[in-house]
This record gives sequence, structure tokens and C-alpha cells, in this order.
Amino acid sequence: MTAPSIVNHIVAAPPLSRHRLTVHRLDGEVSLDLAELYAAAGRLAVQLRRLGVGPGDRIGIHSANRLEWVLLDLAALRLGAVTAGLEPEKFPAEPELLRRYRMKLLFTEAPAVGAGIVPIDEAAKLAEVPGDGPEPVTYTPTDVTTLKFTSGSTGQPKGLGATVGSIDSSLWAVQRMFDHRPGDHLFVFLPLSLLQQRYWIYSALRFGHDVTVSTYEAAFAALRQARPTVVMGVPGFFSTARRQIEARARRSGSTVDVVAREVFGDRIRYLWTGSAPATVDTLRFFTDAGLAIFEGYGLNETCIVTKNHPGAHRLGSVGQVLPGKEVLLDADGVIRVRADHPVNTRYEYAAPGDSERVFGPDGTVLTGDLGYFDEDGFLYIRGRADDVIVLGNGRKVIVRPIEERLRAHPAVDDCVLFCPSERHLVAVVSPAGAPADEVAIAEHVAAVNAAGHADERIHRVVVADEPFTVANNQLSSQFKPRRQQILARYRDAIHDSQRGIHAR
Amino acid sequence: MRDDIEAAARANLILVLDPEIEPDAVDADLDLADGYGLSSLNKVLFLTSVCDDTGVSLSEFTEHDVARMRTLRDVTEALARHATIGVAP
Repeated sequence: MTAPSIVNHIVAAPPLSRHRLTVHRLDGEVSLDLAELYAAAGRLAVQLRRLGVGPGDRIGIHSANRLEWVLLDLAALRLGAVTAGLEPEKFPAEPELLRRYRMKLLFTEAPAVGAGIVPIDEAAKLAEVPGDGPEPVTYTPTDVTTLKFTSGSTGQPKGLGATVGSIDSSLWAVQRMFDHRPGDHLFVFLPLSLLQQRYWIYSALRFGHDVTVSTYEAAFAALRQARPTVVMGVPGFFSTARRQIEARARRSGSTVDVVAREVFGDRIRYLWTGSAPATVDTLRFFTDAGLAIFEGYGLNETCIVTKNHPGAHRLGSVGQVLPGKEVLLDADGVIRVRADHPVNTRYEYAAPGDSERVFGPDGTVLTGDLGYFDEDGFLYIRGRADDVIVLGNGRKVIVRPIEERLRAHPAVDDCVLFCPSERHLVAVVSPAGAPADEVAIAEHVAAVNAAGHADERIHRVVVADEPFTVANNQLSSQFKPRRQQILARYRDAIHDSQRGIHAR
Repeated sequence: MRDDIEAAARANLILVLDPEIEPDAVDADLDLADGYGLSSLNKVLFLTSVCDDTGVSLSEFTEHDVARMRTLRDVTEALARHATIGVAP
């Protein structure tokens, strides 16, 4: 039997419980009863309708996390409109955005002007205009409520719409595993433009618990104030927090479990991590510090596929497969995912071939990741065939096209990219000649940087002191660079920000 | 007061640097991100810790203020404008 739609539930009627949404920014916080949030979103929906936004129309939200983001998202759901989350760091707020992505309105926190561009704080004012909510809408499982933008192979972000069925099935699966309930308080600081971060607001409305949304910058300060029971993070966040906890414990003489509670608060039920592989050391660190941490696996194109949880957890694995999902492994261990309710079957605004490379004709998503199951059905990820780097802010960079652009210069024989600080890309270049033409390499890197997006910027170049070869174990037998061996050889230089060629 | 804030900033900055360096070796004018490779999350941790140690509320600043703090000197000067009590021991 299909579980009732959570999306339809939260748009149809106000929540009965008296839980709260709190939004933290550095300069203050705002907190609303969820029933008031529902009412405000309804009033905003009516005003959006008055501005010409109807069912199926798109609105852009171009902002860091803030209350208006949540209001606009919920108002769009109430109207049957589609949100397009645009990260300010990736997209300049300009009228061209409206045309390119067929948006009726673009709400932005940037000081932009133009037809259809609305300062985002107007959303809060519109939500105060007295009135009732709109007529209820009802979604079918294949309706799309939101468009996410993800890195494309050409450097241009591609769009991915998410269906109601995929949202519902993921939320139900999470709920069965973690039983979020009154007394729980979920903490979100990754960008709301990542749909999964909005899941926890939908969960609060449906299952009755508190939720705090913070900006990235306010996250650590907000954690202590919010005293959440659940923190939604990514490995980069937890590894950074771990280093800080260890350093503070050393400095203060306290134990790491005491310092961990100072950082995360004293009510943690569990920590959630996903989006990229976490190291076993980091997972064990938090577990040993008394903070349960559960890793999972999924892509934008599949949503959550597997997840460790209190009832079934195995360190080093990414958990067992969720109900409604199926993981298929080919002879090489490459993972494909089938879903009862797929996120989608194609990209929008993608280069020719992008959709076909990921969405198979048999309805499966080709992840490009390599994995295997143990005898109890826990999935282990052996590697990322697509070589995706997830930055500390949760954004993803596909390194292969950047490496290809870097290799295009005659002074560069080969190269691989690393991201030692979760912020900056560092290239290790195998030079085409000896001595390396560092001036030419630097000029080429500057040109590659100028042509790429901000997240794709190569910050430094470490010139290998000998070419990558099969003989020195830095190329595979198929002459592909062996990342782990290269990392091991040049680890110190990669991590030392003073070394190498600093790119323009 | 300003010297105390700068000392607190140096002491906290080295905790998020990889590899760690001596506090006195920190170049106050080197870009934290481009020069020291500080991730945005480490910058947030660093600022939160310095604010704790200097008694300056992080709420004195906006997200845009934080974005404008690019060097140790920027951080020290921003905090000095708001510091009213002594630095935590």
C-alpha cells in the first residue's frame, strides 16, 4: 500500500502540533510557530498569485538561508508553483536568469534590479498582507515541485526537477528509520537550495518537531543556542568540527566528549552525514565521543538510496537499501539505482548526452560509483568513478572536465585535482618537459580559471618532480593517473598552502 | 585591548590551520583563504572561537561583514571595534 503523500498533507492543512521553525543569521534570529509559518506561507501564496504566479509557474530564490526562503518554498507548494533554488555564489542576479530558466519572478538578496526581480525581503512583507490561504492544490507523484541546479559537464549548471513521489518516498523512509517526533529538534545549515535540506522543514510540519535553519556563517554559534537533537551535515563539516574539538580538548585539558557537547550541544540524538564519503576515522571519532553518526548514500538524481540508522548500522558501510529503492551492481561493481518513484528521468538545460549518461532507458540511474554488499545487505562504496569533489559547503565540483581543460596545454602532460581544505582545488601537474615550463603552466591555469565557475577555480599547482608513469606507480596500466598514489606522493605539498604555483 | 584580541585571534587561527604553525608566525596581512587555505567552515569556527575568547558577540556582525574579513588584521580590527570586556584566560 502506498503511504499517503507528505507533500499533499502539509499543503492541505495547518500542522496541529505547536512546534517551531527558528532561523538564525549572525545578526539575530527569528522564530515562528509552525502553524503561523503555515498561515504566513498561505498569505504569501495568495500575493504571489496576485503577482501572476500560478500553478506550474517557476519562481527563482536566489539567497542564502533565511526565513523568506522557507516562506517562498512553502508558498510555492501551496500554489502548485515550482521553485528554482539559485545559489548566490554561482549565479549573478540578472534579468537574463529569468529568461534562461523561464521564471516569472526572481527573489534575490542581491542589490539587483530588472523586470521580475524582487528583493527577497519583500516576501516577508507580502506574507503579512491579511487574508486566507489559497485554494488547496493536490499533487500527483510525478508532479515536479522544485528545480535544483547541479554541476554540468560543460561547466554550465544543469537543472534537475524533483517529483513529489520521490520527496514523499524519501521522507517516509527516513521517518521509519529515525522516527523524528515531538522533542526532536533538527538543525540545518547547508543551503536550502539543496532540496534535501528543505525535507527537514516538511518533516517538522508533518511529524511535529522543531527545526532550526541557520546560515553557514552562524552555524556553530547557532548550534549551541538551538541545542538540537539532530544535525544534518556533510563529511567536510564533521571532519572540520572534529579537528576543532581535538584542538580545543588539547588546549583545555578537557575530554573530547565534553568538548564535542560544547560544540554540538547537550541533546544530540544523532548526526546525519551523506553526500560524500566520510572517513571511518571521523565516524569512529564521533561515535567514541558519544555522538552517534549515520552515513548514507545517494545522489541528487536518486535522492537517499541507503542509510545507516539506529536499527541497522555498520561502520564503513553506507547502510542498507531504503524501501522503494533497488541497487543493482554490474560485473565491475558499478552501481545503478532503480526507484519506485524516480526523482526524474532527465536533466533540463543540459548538454546533449548528459541525461543519457545518467538516466538509463531501463529507468535506472547510472551512478558511476563502485560498490559491493556484505552478506547482510550493507552497501560499501569503493570509489567514485566520476571523481566528484564535495566542497565543505556541500557544493559539488566534477573534476574531470577541469582536468581535461588543464591537460589541453602542451606544457601539461597530465594532472589530477585535489581539494585538501574542502575549499580550494589544488592541481598536481605532471609537466610535459623538464624543466617544467612553470610560466606557461601558470598562464594556462589562469586562463582555465577565467573560463570556469568560482567553485572550479584552481588555487595552486604543485608541479610533480617526475612525470607520472606506470613505472613509478602514478599511472595505471591503462595510463590513467592513480589519484591515491599521487596524493600519497605529494601530500605535504598539496596541504601546504605556501608551496606550489599560486594561480591567478 | 587590541593586543589581547590579536593574541586571541592568532591562538585560535592556528587551531584551524593545516599544518599548524606558531602563533607568532601568522602573517596578519596574508589572505586567510588564499594564503592560508582556510575553508569557509574553518573561518566560521575560527571567528566563533575568537568571539568566545574575547567576549565579543558574533551577532555584532553580519554575513557580509564576515565575508569582508579576509586577513587576521581585518578580524582583529573588526573585533576591537566591539570589544568591551577582557579576553578570556
